[in-house]
Amino acid sequence: MEINYKFLIDTFYIVLAAVPTTLKLTIIPLLAAAPFAFTIALIRLQKGKSLWKVPVSAYVTFVRGTPIVLQILMIYSLLPSLLNALMKAWSFDINVFDWDPIFYAYIVFTLNIIALLSEVLRSAFGSVEKGQLEAAECAGLTKVQAYVHILLPQAMVVAMPNLCNLTVNLIKGTSLAFLMTVKDMTAVAKVSASYGYNYIEAYLDVFVGYIIICSIAQVLFHFAEAHMGRYRLSKQK
Amino acid sequence: MRPFSLQFLVDVFPILLPFLSATLAVVVGTIFFGSIAGGLLAWAKEGSYQLFQRLAQAYTYIIRCTPPIVLLFIVFYGLPKFCLEVLDTNINDYDKLFFVIISFTLLFAAPVSEVMRSAYEAIDHGQYEAAVSIGLSPWQAFFHIVLPQATVVALPNFGNSVISLMKDGSLAYTIGFIDLIGKGQLIVSMNYGAYAMETYLALALIYLMLTIGMEKLFLWIEQRFSRHKQAA
Repeated sequence: MEINYKFLIDTFYIVLAAVPTTLKLTIIPLLAAAPFAFTIALIRLQKGKSLWKVPVSAYVTFVRGTPIVLQILMIYSLLPSLLNALMKAWSFDINVFDWDPIFYAYIVFTLNIIALLSEVLRSAFGSVEKGQLEAAECAGLTKVQAYVHILLPQAMVVAMPNLCNLTVNLIKGTSLAFLMTVKDMTAVAKVSASYGYNYIEAYLDVFVGYIIICSIAQVLFHFAEAHMGRYRLSKQK
Repeated sequence: MRPFSLQFLVDVFPILLPFLSATLAVVVGTIFFGSIAGGLLAWAKEGSYQLFQRLAQAYTYIIRCTPPIVLLFIVFYGLPKFCLEVLDTNINDYDKLFFVIISFTLLFAAPVSEVMRSAYEAIDHGQYEAAVSIGLSPWQAFFHIVLPQATVVALPNFGNSVISLMKDGSLAYTIGFIDLIGKGQLIVSMNYGAYAMETYLALALIYLMLTIGMEKLFLWIEQRFSRHKQAA
């Protein structure tokens, strides 16, 4: 099969130049989602009935039960016109259609990650023994202190493998940002391929790009897990 | 901004639902071919051939890092070119379902091989040895003793893989395959972008029912398969 090697190499640099966009689309939603996911996890772990449990569970089920393409299409068709209507209603002189589409991508991925991350945190907190919280409170720590200093460090070690999966899936998911005209790795490859119909070469570049990024993410998580679990490992010896 | 039309939401369901068969065709076809490929990969990983083991592990790793849409595009653009130039056969006019199933089979095989491998390892090796020692052949021991037990172990994870396959399958519309989402996109563009929200919400509800139904189905199969375990 004839492969245009010059194009393959040239496009690889173009794809590499779009790596920061992919990283931004991964890191910003993860950070933005963390506090919300944390809250949802705590609400769902509460004993007894709570007014918030039903809507929060419905939200998580909705996000987990629908494809992310659909979430992208829904938000990208709704949010700009909704914001535009709001801006007009409040008579702000802002044209939302001038905004960088990456703004909407952040929102879609954040909303998606809130639900998925809350499930990861929920199972991680559930795995930490209940006695730990009681012991911390007996020792005079407030509930917040107990969570921050006692439960969170233990839960994070447990959550690491799932967090790694979540991050890798999010990195892969960002490849759909081109549906919102964000110029990420997939989008720039697609554009440069369309000039000479060199789709195979362009997508091979993207393919390699994602393998490299995901590999780096997995190595980082591996080190983070080893670092955070160092007390656990020394105890086992 | 135009108010939300509940009427359209209701009306769009009967237009969308016939295309459920296309979505399910992708899922069923991929489960069939993907399970065979996944089984082969799991066999390679558990087998004693170093080379096969490494290859299967490398394949699983690479697929884990590949976005579904990129693989879909590579197969859709690459396979016809490959077949034309190397095998001298023209497959450009093949049904898009063919390319979709090939892509998702490649994707599905990797996680499923991991599910199968871990289920196989979960079964105590003593079971196999006991079966062989009472006179069963290795194949009989595998099919009658190990496989039924491993299936029960594998079912929950297999169900999860199928559900994520179904969600990834929604990407097939990007190469022009008309499934639920593809039809939804056609409806939206036929209305010049109007009623987009209603159409997408209807699709979301259909997918939600599909995933919840799938979850229930696998739970039911699991209970059915493990009835002997409960009796013991």
